[in-house]
Amino acid sequence: MQGLLFAFFLRIDSHRLMSMIYLCLILLVLLSISIVCFTMYKKRIESNKKLWQQSIAQIIGQAIFFTDEEDDGVNITYKIEMLLQRSGFRNYVINELIEAKKNLSGLSTLNLKKLYEILELDKDSCKKLNSIKWHIKAKGIQELAIMEQVKHVKKIFKLTNNPNELVRNEAQCALVSFYGFSGLRFLNVIMYPISQWQQIQLLNKLNDVIPNNFDAVKKWLQSANESVIIFALKLASFYNCNDVYNEVINCLQNPCLRVKLNVLQYLKKMPQEDTADQLIGNYSFENKRYKLAIIDTLKEIGSEKQISFLLKQLHHKDDDIKAAAAKCLSHLHPSGTAFLQTHLFADEDPWKAIFLQIKNERAA
Amino acid sequence: MTILVAEDDMIMLKTIELRLKKDGHTVILSHDGREAMKELETSSPDLIITDIMMPFSSGLEIIGAVKKRAGKKIPVIVLSAMGQENVVLEAFQLGADDYITKPFSPNELSMRVKRYIPFVAEV
Repeated sequence: MQGLLFAFFLRIDSHRLMSMIYLCLILLVLLSISIVCFTMYKKRIESNKKLWQQSIAQIIGQAIFFTDEEDDGVNITYKIEMLLQRSGFRNYVINELIEAKKNLSGLSTLNLKKLYEILELDKDSCKKLNSIKWHIKAKGIQELAIMEQVKHVKKIFKLTNNPNELVRNEAQCALVSFYGFSGLRFLNVIMYPISQWQQIQLLNKLNDVIPNNFDAVKKWLQSANESVIIFALKLASFYNCNDVYNEVINCLQNPCLRVKLNVLQYLKKMPQEDTADQLIGNYSFENKRYKLAIIDTLKEIGSEKQISFLLKQLHHKDDDIKAAAAKCLSHLHPSGTAFLQTHLFADEDPWKAIFLQIKNERAA
Repeated sequence: MTILVAEDDMIMLKTIELRLKKDGHTVILSHDGREAMKELETSSPDLIITDIMMPFSSGLEIIGAVKKRAGKKIPVIVLSAMGQENVVLEAFQLGADDYITKPFSPNELSMRVKRYIPFVAEV
């Protein structure tokens, strides 16, 4: 390698070598200048940020203590007025207001909202809704939601069906935080699926909300969007809603397995007298996973009436179904595991293993 | 009353300062734990309000230092974020007198501070 380098330098004349050295030196100088400029730029931004922080603290500090008797005008100095013409500063104010709103409660949060409106920062947030970048759009929605800008609901509502998942998630959460349960009206129109995570988020926002009626849930249970049906089933379970029982039972005819599994979750929580029989009525047409889920549901909602059905399942060709039926029988039969011991050939496989497993589970 | 406030969020610091000044207190501000520790060496506040999570020195370190000091007993109110129960317990073990969870109302803080006026007068 060294030999190659030596040969390379021997071939080039001194004039060329000098010009290469000059070029390297120029590049070095340029690099140093750019490093110095970048450091100065960073320092300037930092000092600007400090100045901005002081100015913002000044106006937010005043606004937090607005009272009804006092004049709500904020004393905005010429310097702050100039700063407020810069979009960077306005964005910084929005971020600080949001941060302050998260840390404060009571009247102060209303005052922060008032300040946001006085400075017309909602216009800046609304502009973000028109951005082509999804993250800016989502940020705009989030700002309007935190600052309770219900007047912009039409713009946000349109975004509940946005092709970008994060944008529509933010828009859907915003509507629920504005209107509670009635904010879920976007479920009537959305075409895209609602992710599991988003469903949890929405349910979390509805934690303290009690709806007046469940007519809308009935409608969502018949939606063409499977994820809407699943979410409606979760809502029905969440609110222990009996009114929608018939619509839920109709969902057992839905071809989607996930829908049917969610129906079972609801039925476990809100069973009626004939629920177990209805499940058995559907049993023979279904696949293994659903059959196992039905037997598991019967374990919780079934009675002695279902024993004959379960006894038949003990002779199913699939061992998993045999085991599930045996477990269910040990729960439903008045003599429990003792019944299994007399009925099953406890010394033969697979019964031996199944019986041992049930015994261990019950002991635990 | 002279109150030392240690909080790294400038808006929060300003809010607490304005609220306490409205109530007629003298307020000493610290933007981080280290600044608060230095202030404690030079001044003698009647009450300390401190955030837990701060750069350089945490609120817990401040409580520890204050409670170890001989002489005047200084009550400490801790500001903590929601879900920091363990930290709050640790603060109480170190000798904190009260705590407020964020989000908090400045008016609530003001009322809590007022509770310490008779104590300070007694001292």
